Amino acid sequence: MSSRIFGSRIRRREDPRLITGSAVYTGDIELPGMVHAAMLRCGHAHARITRIATEQAEAAPGVVAVYTGVDTDGVLQPMPCAWLLPDAELKIAPYPCIAKDVVRYTGDVVAVVVAESAHEAYDALDLIEVDYEPLPAVIDPEEAARAGAPELHAKDINGDDISGNQAFHWTVAGGGDVELAFAEAEADGVVIKERILQQRLIPNAMETRGAVAQYNRATGELTLWNTTQNPHILRFLCSVVTGVPEDKLRVIAPEVGGGFGSKIAAYPADFVTVFCAMRLGRPVKWIESRSENYQATTHGRDHVQDVELAATKDGRITGLRCTVYAGMGAYLSTAAPGIPTILHGLMLSGCYTIPALKEDVYGVYTNGVPVEAYRGAGRPEATFILERLVDMLANRLGMDPADVRIKNFIPKFDDGHEVVTTLNYDSGDYPGALSKLLEHTGYRALRERQRAGPSNGKYMGLGLTSYVEICGLGPSQVAGAIGFQGGLWESAIVRFHPTGKVHVFIGASPHGQGEETTFAQIVASEIGVDVADVKIFHGDTDSTPMGWGTYGSRTTAVGGAALALAVRKIRDKAKVVAAHLLEASVEDMDYEDGKFFVKGSPDRAKTIQDVALMANVAWTLPEGVEAGLEATTFYDPPNFVFPYGAHLAVVEVDARTGHVELTGYTALDDCGPQINPTIVEGQVHGGVVQGVGQALWEGAAYDESGQLVTGSMLDYALPRADQLPDLDVISTVTPSPHHPLGVKGVGEAGTIASTAAVYNAVMDALRPLGVTRVDMPLTPERVWRAIQEAQGS
Amino acid sequence: MEVSARYTFDAPRQRVWDLLVDPEVIASCLPGCESMELVGEDTYRATLTIGVAAVTGRYQGTVRMSDKDEPSGYTLLVEGKGRPGFVNGSASVTLADGDADGRTRVAVTGKAQVGGTIARVGQRLLGGVSKMMMDRFFSCLQQRARAAEGGGP
Repeated sequence: MSSRIFGSRIRRREDPRLITGSAVYTGDIELPGMVHAAMLRCGHAHARITRIATEQAEAAPGVVAVYTGVDTDGVLQPMPCAWLLPDAELKIAPYPCIAKDVVRYTGDVVAVVVAESAHEAYDALDLIEVDYEPLPAVIDPEEAARAGAPELHAKDINGDDISGNQAFHWTVAGGGDVELAFAEAEADGVVIKERILQQRLIPNAMETRGAVAQYNRATGELTLWNTTQNPHILRFLCSVVTGVPEDKLRVIAPEVGGGFGSKIAAYPADFVTVFCAMRLGRPVKWIESRSENYQATTHGRDHVQDVELAATKDGRITGLRCTVYAGMGAYLSTAAPGIPTILHGLMLSGCYTIPALKEDVYGVYTNGVPVEAYRGAGRPEATFILERLVDMLANRLGMDPADVRIKNFIPKFDDGHEVVTTLNYDSGDYPGALSKLLEHTGYRALRERQRAGPSNGKYMGLGLTSYVEICGLGPSQVAGAIGFQGGLWESAIVRFHPTGKVHVFIGASPHGQGEETTFAQIVASEIGVDVADVKIFHGDTDSTPMGWGTYGSRTTAVGGAALALAVRKIRDKAKVVAAHLLEASVEDMDYEDGKFFVKGSPDRAKTIQDVALMANVAWTLPEGVEAGLEATTFYDPPNFVFPYGAHLAVVEVDARTGHVELTGYTALDDCGPQINPTIVEGQVHGGVVQGVGQALWEGAAYDESGQLVTGSMLDYALPRADQLPDLDVISTVTPSPHHPLGVKGVGEAGTIASTAAVYNAVMDALRPLGVTRVDMPLTPERVWRAIQEAQGS
Repeated sequence: MEVSARYTFDAPRQRVWDLLVDPEVIASCLPGCESMELVGEDTYRATLTIGVAAVTGRYQGTVRMSDKDEPSGYTLLVEGKGRPGFVNGSASVTLADGDADGRTRVAVTGKAQVGGTIARVGQRLLGGVSKMMMDRFFSCLQQRARAAEGGGP
């Protein structure tokens, strides 16, 4: 049984505590003497602070203290940016934890109130008087880059001028001569041009952000409970900002209720909470409200893209050229500069053979909430460009979009393929994935049905996406070369107790992805213990080995490899011990399903439990073998992994109302061998729906003065179950050649594929009506207006 | 956000003007107005409780009349802030003789910048709420004007 545990659909062991309400989140932490903090957010998109008066708030019932930027200045260091993009003229603007002079987005913190209860703290916020002199604001990244736009920052942290709000200018160029490719296509081929708005999105983790800080004045030790995706990175950053040495700093990510990228960054409010705890010598809790979450927790996407594709008349792609204005918000969040560049531009050739490519990305400061990774992080924005352009090329040439894809795919490869951006993809069969999808969905027959024309005013549309993504981040040498201020390896400690039960300590920090289950499956399948005998520990920097966190679909791909290799070390040692117990030589030993035996005599075996007991009591061990049965592995991957797939969306658009109905969706994903297919499917479901949300409903909207007007769940349209069809999830299995388990990653795949698939489907439906482009989200109003305009009424 | 509205009074221009510059009348007619006190020339400090969508709150601020041109019009400058957010606005109030004797037309056009929770949560409803508040304010003034006229000499 145990050898088949890899790939079995066992139920997630996390779920009982999650669905019975017994999980412990940051908000559930209660400590003796604890007080509560509330942050005063400025509410202005851009303004100069002229006066702050806190006396009334200080005198309010229950209030313990009120602090402003004057108190934290020089005590809390500015927020660090941890992705120092090289060769990009990166200008990091100073990012104070509490703004003292100028506020640059509505969520900027200007003061904090600490009170005996959260309600008293929030009530006292009302009593702080702040006078502002409003300054002009700018939200659109392209507008912000124009001459004459309001400027957010005069100088960067090194004292260099920041001009035109430009945070960086990054370029990727690969392959042949892109200018020549376009010149040739202009002369004797086709050039497709499009403007794409990747609208700003708001991640919506079920648990908002929050922190609890406890400082022991006698020992100088600080414990920070925080809803984070990467506690070890946060410990490092917290040490930098607060000055508490790393050895006295413990970060705990208790149960974390989702993140989608928004809990990668370190946030000013976390460190302000620490500041209060250190000042007061009492534990301090800060929990964000949903409304605060919308205006203070990082957003995603926000690209204005001008893109062009060059091709031959028979549909072969010859070049791709893009200019992107990426809105970074008011300050550079922790990993922000790497998202619209490394994770975006390097994936621009997708699953296609593109001989020449160039992209210019301008990172631009705006008066919006800082932008960070959001599920997919850069790859959805790249996939959308390609998949939209390929569809437009097909339309121009009168070809089926599937056929244009097939014509341009990189042929099947098993062990490495270098693409035009210099990445070396690990393995893939893009034509195979698409042809399986087409066959499974009856694509050609659906096209026939579509040719019959609209029925009852409803137009059918089909939208394809073929994607490949980069995940399993990544080799640490590469991390260094691309300016990431950390490593990207993962670690695991596997410890066998005398009774054969297993504790596993991992550096990664799952927060909803189910690795407590899949990691136990890895251990069980590698060494034949029962899944129930394996406990996975994560999220506490004091008890787990260093790790770089859960994002970029890397936890199973990198952390899972570390774990598998650690268990294999245990197996090797166990074999030596078993041979000793059986008085045999190690070379003669065999292993199967948790049993060690002399080749040919499986009936006389020592189980892993036998070995664990002997290794722990150490009464008789072979010469030179240490007591205990424990192994540690630090796994630094030799390359990234490149999952891929093909998705099909089917829609019906009501031309009379502009209403789009997603009537069918099929996702084919290849993430290599699946440890637990149910969990894989769950990841695909959630990912697909988030991408559909971007295509059809979601978008952060600001008014002309920089106020976020989609500031609540009333105004920001998250997908609902009743708006979605059953999702059909299928797969192919192509192992990664360089990974110990062959696995890739699947956390972001759905989001990367589905936005473009749904958008293409809607545009396909609207073709007979003469509509060629509509900005996302494709709300009924926008679609209806586009139809009216195209029909000339 | 922009607002504009027109109202007709069954009262002569001077009478309407007197009402429109009388802080006590304004305070009693303005929905949710708790107090309004003179703090400088043509400048008042006001406290209002207003509900927009689910966001109800108390606002404190200043109201200033400028460019006074009796009995033809003035500019109203409003600055207010409270827990639910802030409002900065200006409105021009113009009085003109009505089409019949003893009647007055009042036109209001204004611009406002709002921020904070009311902007995030209530934006869609702000236009409607402002219009409703203005309608209630002027209908109260209209009643006052009629009452004064009827009871007058």
